[in-house]
Amino acid sequence: MSFMNLLPHLLNGLTLGLLFSLIALGFMLILGLMEQINLAHGSLFALGAYFAYALCAARLPLPPDWLAVWAGVPLIWRFAAAVVLAPVLVAPFGLILERLMRRTYGRDPLYGLLLTFGVAMVIEELIRVVWGTPDYMLPVPREISGGFIMLDLIWSAYRFWAAGMAVAAMAVVWVIVERTRFGAMVKAGAHDSEIVQALGIDLTKLRVWVFVLGTMMAAFAGVIMAPLWGIRPHMGVDAVVPAFLIIVLGGVGSFWGAAIGGLLVGMVVGLSAAYASEWSMLSMYLLLLLVVTFRARGLFGKKSVLEV
Amino acid sequence: MAPPRTAPTITWAMIVVWLVFASVPLWIEKVGLYQYLGVEILIFAMYALAYNLVLGHAGLPSFGHGAFVGVGAYAVGLAQFNVAANLWICLAVAVGAAAVAGALVALFISHRRGIYYALMTIAFGQIFWFVAIKAHSLTGGEDGLLKIARLPATFGMTTFDLTSNVALYYFVLVVFAAVSFLLWRIVHSPFGRVVKAIKQNETRARFVGYDVWRFKAAILVLSACLSGLAGALFSMAQTSAFPDVMSLHYSGYVVMMTLVGGGLVSFWGPVIGAAAFFLARDIIGAVTTGWMLWFGMSFVVLVLFKPEGIAGIYQSLAQRRAKTAAPVVAPTSQVR
Repeated sequence: MSFMNLLPHLLNGLTLGLLFSLIALGFMLILGLMEQINLAHGSLFALGAYFAYALCAARLPLPPDWLAVWAGVPLIWRFAAAVVLAPVLVAPFGLILERLMRRTYGRDPLYGLLLTFGVAMVIEELIRVVWGTPDYMLPVPREISGGFIMLDLIWSAYRFWAAGMAVAAMAVVWVIVERTRFGAMVKAGAHDSEIVQALGIDLTKLRVWVFVLGTMMAAFAGVIMAPLWGIRPHMGVDAVVPAFLIIVLGGVGSFWGAAIGGLLVGMVVGLSAAYASEWSMLSMYLLLLLVVTFRARGLFGKKSVLEV
Repeated sequence: MAPPRTAPTITWAMIVVWLVFASVPLWIEKVGLYQYLGVEILIFAMYALAYNLVLGHAGLPSFGHGAFVGVGAYAVGLAQFNVAANLWICLAVAVGAAAVAGALVALFISHRRGIYYALMTIAFGQIFWFVAIKAHSLTGGEDGLLKIARLPATFGMTTFDLTSNVALYYFVLVVFAAVSFLLWRIVHSPFGRVVKAIKQNETRARFVGYDVWRFKAAILVLSACLSGLAGALFSMAQTSAFPDVMSLHYSGYVVMMTLVGGGLVSFWGPVIGAAAFFLARDIIGAVTTGWMLWFGMSFVVLVLFKPEGIAGIYQSLAQRRAKTAAPVVAPTSQVR
């Protein structure tokens, strides 16, 4: 297959990879500071997508005349509102989850895993109760959807928008983690929580904020991903599995590990789709096995909380 | 009082469990339930017992056990169509296939523990599930492998027809009794003791001279075999095999059953958990939509406040009663 034929697959893989990286980053922020695997991360992702749908399709529990006004707003503005508001709406769920997880700090990390699995099941069922089981499509405004022709190939504009927004979100996270006092505290807390507390930093409060940040990243990724994947109750699982896979692959506790791991997974899935589209998702598991067989801690991993 | 060095071969609890299950077909329809539910509970009780070998007894949190159930479920059907329409051969093929799958997974993950073990088993579970969905020609994809017959069970001269749910129930009960007896013996064998030691402190067990990797691999393969057997019985019950049982959800359900019942502290906990799971599904499901909402929330509450589950609650209640009855408690020596 020539390079020109592979190019669209590569670009699809790149978009997918950037979005995977975004999900994985939120997952890892929580893992780093809380020393907990958050299996409900995918459910928060799904909630983001559903809230975005409720906002964009104007299916909100509001009085009909208010709703009519909202439905009259151009789709582009409703979509923009969804991108901003959906993560904010999902944040309280993260707060509740963090509150629950507090009881498991310092205990066997297995309990955190079990707890978040239970919460994931509850949120998924909640989605089924509220929105039912059918698939939804998130309406994308005409301004950023459609296709264009470049190099004699038709490209979907939204993929570029999605990739751009993922890059922007990751840049924001990078600035927060690497260039602010808050980020320094988070990194220090992940490295040695006792010393950080001894220095007078309120780790409990810090954990809340990190959890909220991680939650909002998951929800944001859910909004961006919704037009590409469709919205269905079990989409959370489709997102959380690649996220932990990327963390194990890239190595725990490394920003670039998550970013590069995500890109790698996206590219492998995208490229294998060129040859065997049915089986493309399998390639990421094979990649994982290949990497961890030779590098037990992943590509950039150091000794971490995962090793009890 | 130190626990006795050898556990009794047959316990009262074991006989009670068997007898209670044996009486189920007599009254289950009178309380408004149906015979098939009994079959489901019994099969999943067996699966949860086999799963607890890994979670409760070896301390290895597998989140991908559905893979082995699925392999067993498909293998029994495929053996029926392609090898021989004999129940024993088909079940043997299912157990063998699950053993191969278990060994393959064990090869990659037996040096891990804790959260990494959980994550790697999720990945393997997803691989098996994904293959089951995509390998249309073999498994029928998402439509499932249909028209699996409930083959008659032949014991020498006599043959039992298993097409009715009650007959199948008693057949499954015999298998369940055999499996639970076998598991009880394994857990209390020298092999089981070593596995328990590995759970408590892997490094020390290694220093004592045990080949920890081999024990962890063996326990996973064993658990996979019995889970595969449960899967084979499940596809007989459903007369088809579907990829659902291999999904992350189902692999999580068995973790929920095991924990809710109290698999961490009691051998029979998983059986209680499996019964609680299906009864909750049918009883809560009859009253409201979204039964998993309520079951999931009670699971969350249990994980937070009483990870020892229903069996743990019972044990601490019994302990409290014993304490109030006899205020002078003899000093107990902790065996740690």
